[in-house]
Amino acid sequence: MNRIEIVDGAGFSCAEGDTLLRAGLRAGLGLPYECNAGGCGTCKVELIEGAVESRWPEAPGLSDRDRRKGRVLACQSLPTGDCRLRLRLDPACIPEIRPERRKARLTGMADITRDIREFRFAAEGPARFRPGQYAMLSLPDGTERAYSLSNIANADGASHFQIRRVPDGRMTERLFDAAPTEIMLDGPYGLAHLQPGARDVVCIAGGSGLAPMVSIARGIAADPADARRVHFFHGGRTSADLPGEGWARTLTGLGDRLAYHAAVSDESVPGLAQGFVHEVLAAWMGDRFDNYDYYCAGPPPMIQALETLLVATKGLPAGRVRFDRFF
Amino acid sequence: MSDGGVIASETLLCAQSDVPEGGAVKIELAGRPPLAIFNIKGTFFVTDDTCTHGEASLSEGEIDTDECVVECPWHSGAFELSTGKPCGAPCTIALRIHRFALHDGGIYLLD
Repeated sequence: MNRIEIVDGAGFSCAEGDTLLRAGLRAGLGLPYECNAGGCGTCKVELIEGAVESRWPEAPGLSDRDRRKGRVLACQSLPTGDCRLRLRLDPACIPEIRPERRKARLTGMADITRDIREFRFAAEGPARFRPGQYAMLSLPDGTERAYSLSNIANADGASHFQIRRVPDGRMTERLFDAAPTEIMLDGPYGLAHLQPGARDVVCIAGGSGLAPMVSIARGIAADPADARRVHFFHGGRTSADLPGEGWARTLTGLGDRLAYHAAVSDESVPGLAQGFVHEVLAAWMGDRFDNYDYYCAGPPPMIQALETLLVATKGLPAGRVRFDRFF
Repeated sequence: MSDGGVIASETLLCAQSDVPEGGAVKIELAGRPPLAIFNIKGTFFVTDDTCTHGEASLSEGEIDTDECVVECPWHSGAFELSTGKPCGAPCTIALRIHRFALHDGGIYLLD
């Protein structure tokens, strides 16, 4: 156990093998972060005293200027002793549910599209997370990746993931070709989870971003006090990437409150809008952007295009466009 | 319409002497997002004050005069002051930069 102190702030303990970020969140502190994977740069902290080992020294979230100034990524840093950090805690990052590590066993799999498969796991005790959050999955050999949950919190300990196979991807090759019977789950993480609100909701999913948007839609459907409608925009390269309206309607349980908008970028299909999902969204929206709150999940270029459209161009406050950046 | 080369719209932001070298000031004008004015070795830059990543004030950020870069005080994201281009994660959206004029000891916004 190492002791971590924050200048002008709280302290916390960091267990052997845990990162600064996760240990801080487990202690209930609002350490800023997004991706938990070294890419986004949101969890930069200044190391004032002590030493850390980096899980990924070349992580793109850190610039040469950051390195020169003694900054480290909290999500990649394993302390080798007691440390003092300078950082600005963010009340918005205080975890509603503190993340924890648990063993889980594989209970089922089902293919959803040509390259997305649902993996179902069960752990002891209830599964506690907010719709749209993610967990870190690790295999017995230590390979670890972040995946969003596609179901909602439940008493049975069930965690479902809809994982896209990455060509030559170390993690997905193992999961798809020889799924282990037991894995380690660490979560929940992520800030782009469902929030209460008066406006109807637009969910925008692309590629591997399907799972968290499904979870958001299910979260709305499962809450009897939540009467919001959901516009579900789903983008793929071809129609083989889209499981379709019937699938989404059944899975989310939203019935008539779900409107499904498919977009394909690389194929012309009668009845399906052609273009990138942000273009299809903009064409459908016209001048009604202000009527909705937005949840987005997908590859970085899609998130970048949506952030530019919704925040930079349409002027929506950043708090009404929620996403966790993944890399 | 302007005529005879007179500039149609020019708003006094502050005196040049109000912005210390290597420092920044925040200027709030009615009806528009706050602005930040930077002084890098005697050269001024006028940008939006609010970071494009979070609701933080860039005039309170760390300024690297040699690189002509401002770092957001919140997540240490960074922007080039001359272009507004993001140059440090987590910022990915460019910062708006503004045209201005210097005369009579003042800094005047042109747009």
